[in-house]
Amino acid sequence: MMDKQIHLWAFLQGIGFFPSGWMHERANPAGVFSMDYYARVAKLAEQGMFDAIVFGDQLQSRGAGGRTPERMAMPTLDPVSLLTAMAAVTKHVGLVATVSTTYNTPQMLAERFGTMERISGGRAGWNIVTTAHPDTAPNFGEDDLPPKDERYRHAKEVVAKACELWSAMDREGPLLPQGRPVLVQAGQSPDGRDFAARTAEAIFCPAANIEAGVDFRSDLRTRIAAVGRDPDGVRIMPGLSCVLGGTEEEARATHLAILDLADDALAIEYLSESLGCDLTAFDPAGAIPVDTILDRTILPKADIARAITPAQEKGTPLGTFAANFMRHPRGHNVFLGTPEQMADMMIAWRDAGACDGFTLQPSYMPGGLEDFVEQVVPLLQQRGRLRTEYPGSTLRETLGLPAREPVTA
Amino acid sequence: MTRPFILSASIAEAAFAVPESAAPILRAAEAAGLDLLVMGRSGARPFDAQVLLAWAAPLTSRLGLVATVPASNAHPFHVARALSAIDFLSAGRTGWSVVSEGAPQGMGEDMVGAARALWDGWGSDTLILDKASGRYLDASKVSVSNYEGAFFKVVGPVNAMRPPLGHPLLVVDGDAPLAVADADIALFADGQAVPSASKRLLKVAPDADLAETVARFEAGEIDGLHFTLTEALSQLPLIGARFGALVSARSAESGDLRARLGLPIPSTASNQPGGAVIPENA
Repeated sequence: MMDKQIHLWAFLQGIGFFPSGWMHERANPAGVFSMDYYARVAKLAEQGMFDAIVFGDQLQSRGAGGRTPERMAMPTLDPVSLLTAMAAVTKHVGLVATVSTTYNTPQMLAERFGTMERISGGRAGWNIVTTAHPDTAPNFGEDDLPPKDERYRHAKEVVAKACELWSAMDREGPLLPQGRPVLVQAGQSPDGRDFAARTAEAIFCPAANIEAGVDFRSDLRTRIAAVGRDPDGVRIMPGLSCVLGGTEEEARATHLAILDLADDALAIEYLSESLGCDLTAFDPAGAIPVDTILDRTILPKADIARAITPAQEKGTPLGTFAANFMRHPRGHNVFLGTPEQMADMMIAWRDAGACDGFTLQPSYMPGGLEDFVEQVVPLLQQRGRLRTEYPGSTLRETLGLPAREPVTA
Repeated sequence: MTRPFILSASIAEAAFAVPESAAPILRAAEAAGLDLLVMGRSGARPFDAQVLLAWAAPLTSRLGLVATVPASNAHPFHVARALSAIDFLSAGRTGWSVVSEGAPQGMGEDMVGAARALWDGWGSDTLILDKASGRYLDASKVSVSNYEGAFFKVVGPVNAMRPPLGHPLLVVDGDAPLAVADADIALFADGQAVPSASKRLLKVAPDADLAETVARFEAGEIDGLHFTLTEALSQLPLIGARFGALVSARSAESGDLRARLGLPIPSTASNQPGGAVIPENA
């Protein structure tokens, strides 16, 4: 029997995973405003036999308390546009765009993804999100986001309606090569997991270690089977960032050097955004202003209190807390070591049932992606765990799913 | 600068939405010397034109890419972001034409006002991108828009950069006119009221008379021609053969469409004279 294959997705929003990544000498912060950059990274992903490139998205400007950060890279150009342009310069790699069900109509979604699906020759994917940031609502004429359960209920209706519209587009022609785009989801909450189990063909998640990966994948496979779907028809793709080196020590030193590019001001801007409250006027050497945060945050206060209370009790200064917070972004697996160690780790996760593959989040762009493609991809291929050519032309074929899915959600 | 003669065409063939058809049509449009290719038109949009613009951007170098945007099936926050991205990907070759069919009166104009307000929320010189100091941008150049129209209320700032053109070219069509005083380009047919715009393109068939066209251009009555394509692959070479000489002096141009066509952003339309500048030292 063939060894378990590892699927690779590339999450390429922004200039890299670390907030300080854009300052790295091999990062190209001006490039993300040029087609040359997107052509280069799309071809790199194809060279690395990635299933797909994914862009995340938000529908609000970054920042907190009305202040735009000065030190955080924020070139959130529209993902559908970037990915469709990348389709024009590639042949195989899939293109997965994050788009909200709360702030788009089914008609808008169906036309946008239907056109992307046709012009890419069947390589479109939709990362379905319901939008969780409260600053989004005023950009669409509303005061507040709908409550979470309502957003998910609505998302289900929107996806079903969009599928009907794709079915109609497909009948009218030209054909949608996959019938509809591949449906992708990243919900973490019980609502999100149930929605993913019913709807998604690929799922992202954070999993800081192999046990967390096994837990998540087992839980999702149980939920998928419970709604009558085949768990083997869904790819589970936890996030993975990395810093590579010739030795483990070298990788750790490089990781520290990237983190050290960030000063207190960047760390506090990052924390401000994460807490939904502008803290840039506070003294980094002073105490964490917990009362102010809980008074002003636009995010759920209980969650925020849980995040800051332990540090407050230890008397950690604001600047130190912010720096620590920034060093562990979003609960993802950050691998530090040699390319051989990384390939071993990836194979171990796959064999343990912790994932079907990984969503690579390079630490800085494009250097981090280049290193992975040049140094880790060949090792995975030598060990028979990664394809050396694409099996077909559509994203479904690349994922090993049936070529055309019945158009239901 | 010599007043440029402008060649434009619109395409609304469903077949344009697949790569095997679209790629040769784009090549033919560039070979014919077209300045603008308008994707979709009022009442005929068998595709999402903004998506096709993004696909066309890396496959073309001089063609202006104009998206027909239906006011009733789009939101200015999304439109402002998509056109900003495409304007970067095409290095300043983007335009848009808002059509109002099926939309309540005033919605198209509201769409234009809202998207312009979002683009104007970012200064031309916002980006710093200085790795040494760690300053990515100058936050004082980013502001909320607080746009409130009859149909769209958008606070902003939008999470997209001001486009390289500042605002993509606004194209208005005499068939579905917008009450916008400061559009960049108007398309009109003989006998039709000409919408207000900086440049006026006459709608004609591919076999229109060359001598008469030149006379009307030299008299200042028109700034160029617009063709409604129905069989793009056969019509584009005919257009190139008949009218290509009028644009051939500019055939080596690429990039910034406002500079090439002599169309600065109207001061009534924007709070800034130009588009976004990406620092070169980054």
